[in-house]
Amino acid sequence: MSYLKIENMEISFNTPKGRFVAVKDVNLDIAKGEIVSIIGHSGCGKSTILNAISGMLYPAKGTVTLAGKQIKGPGPDRGIVFQNYSLLPWLTVYENIFQAVDAALVLTSKAEKKELVEKYLKMVNLWEHREKFPKQISGGMKQRTAIARAFAINPDVLLLDEPFGALDALTKGSLHIELLKMWNLTQRSKTIVMVTHDIEEAVFLSDRIVVMNNGPAATIREIEEVNLPRPRNKKDIVNMEEYKIIRERLLSLLMDKVEIDEKDFFKEKAA
Amino acid sequence: MKRTTTLTATFTRDWFGGSNGETTNVFVAKLISIIKGLVFNALGFGILIGIWYLVSILTDGELPTPYATFLVLWELIKDPFYDYGPNDKGIGLQLGSSLLRVFFGFTLGAIVAIPLGILIGASTICKRMFYPIVQVLKPVSPLAWFPIGLVAFQSAGSATIFIIFITSLWPTLINTSFGVASLPDDHKNVAKAFGFSKWKYLTKVLLPFSLPHIITGLRLSIGVAWLVIVAGEMLSGGIGIGFFVWDSWNALSLERVISAILIIGLVGLLLDRGFSLIEKRVTYSI
Repeated sequence: MSYLKIENMEISFNTPKGRFVAVKDVNLDIAKGEIVSIIGHSGCGKSTILNAISGMLYPAKGTVTLAGKQIKGPGPDRGIVFQNYSLLPWLTVYENIFQAVDAALVLTSKAEKKELVEKYLKMVNLWEHREKFPKQISGGMKQRTAIARAFAINPDVLLLDEPFGALDALTKGSLHIELLKMWNLTQRSKTIVMVTHDIEEAVFLSDRIVVMNNGPAATIREIEEVNLPRPRNKKDIVNMEEYKIIRERLLSLLMDKVEIDEKDFFKEKAA
Repeated sequence: MKRTTTLTATFTRDWFGGSNGETTNVFVAKLISIIKGLVFNALGFGILIGIWYLVSILTDGELPTPYATFLVLWELIKDPFYDYGPNDKGIGLQLGSSLLRVFFGFTLGAIVAIPLGILIGASTICKRMFYPIVQVLKPVSPLAWFPIGLVAFQSAGSATIFIIFITSLWPTLINTSFGVASLPDDHKNVAKAFGFSKWKYLTKVLLPFSLPHIITGLRLSIGVAWLVIVAGEMLSGGIGIGFFVWDSWNALSLERVISAILIIGLVGLLLDRGFSLIEKRVTYSI
């Protein structure tokens, strides 16, 4: 344990209305090679925690340490897949990855960098589309580009901010598998922290699921262990008892009312 | 230009076999729409010339008729590059000299305005320092700078270039700083997350994003510069299309004045089209 460690973290923003505390008292210990999802309602500070790990935000109180070193800013040891892909629209798929690799890996030669870009583009099946611009490819392909970009700089930690949120269910499913494939190909040595609001996604991918309560001043409500065996198969795990228990638990944590009251239903109809 | 190429391509395909109903229809539809456009264009000019003719009849020849003007215009463009001394030069030489001044003034203006615009757009401190100055100087007619140019450069020609320089500054500067300032956080975050160097950030993020804005600024600048050069050369005299207009007025030849107006308009249109072509090329879509 204690590879990526968040201790008593509080993050606040100065707004015209005064100080706004986004998250507080966050304590989280993540082991190397672990996949952890952070789940919660919109505006509960999920992304804020991720940004603190990435170094884009600096905590007002507490610390974030990676392998014993305090995080003081963004660095190439952490790869980010942004919520809205964030590809640069004037660069081709190839250039989008190459520029990131070129900037992040300082000591590698140009030929090695090109090799890396090729390797990861082929890994996400985008090699034939390398000369296309972001506007010419689908949402799923954009997301694959963004994932390849994050993997290509060979980071120790991968940070995914609602990476599959804008995709349809089928594309989403295949990208989940693609992500796990990449994780396996790197000997499951990469630590992945992912923000999501999709319960099935979180259960399928994660070792642990961090459930947040509602903001402002949100904090961790509960941490669920997911003890499903790997490699996981979407079809098989849904029938496992463990899966059903975790899913139920998460549902009840995230939704106050899981069922629609029949009384409410008839009231609405009458009105 | 592009349209003609596709047209010929369709045309050749149609003509030399391989034609089918669909391509022929597309071809015919395109041809009709082009002809329609041209007919309406001609109609507009026809109305303008009609009004012109009417006015020249009503004023009893005070305003020269379109035909008389056309004869003079033809004389002018038949031999554009003659040179019979300082006060009698062909229209091509006048135009060339004006274009050269605009080119120098505009280029100098761009060299100053683009970096300054990037600074103002990227840094709040620079914005606070320089933007008020820009706001005060921008509304000043560039002609007001002419005496300062004369004092500084001791020559009317250089002073004219100087006022073109001043003119070209503002639209480019303001558009550049606007473009730079509107760079979305998403793009900045990519640069931050992957540790882009300052140079990479400038060349791969900031400039590509702002380029369409910068080119729009340059397009506006050259438009205003072309407006100002005519007035500037009326003040400076010697040579240039503005001087030509003033000289023709002194020689009481309204035909020459109107011819010059037509030529100035056409050149302005060409300059604008040139920049709008560049604008289209550098604009990326999301």
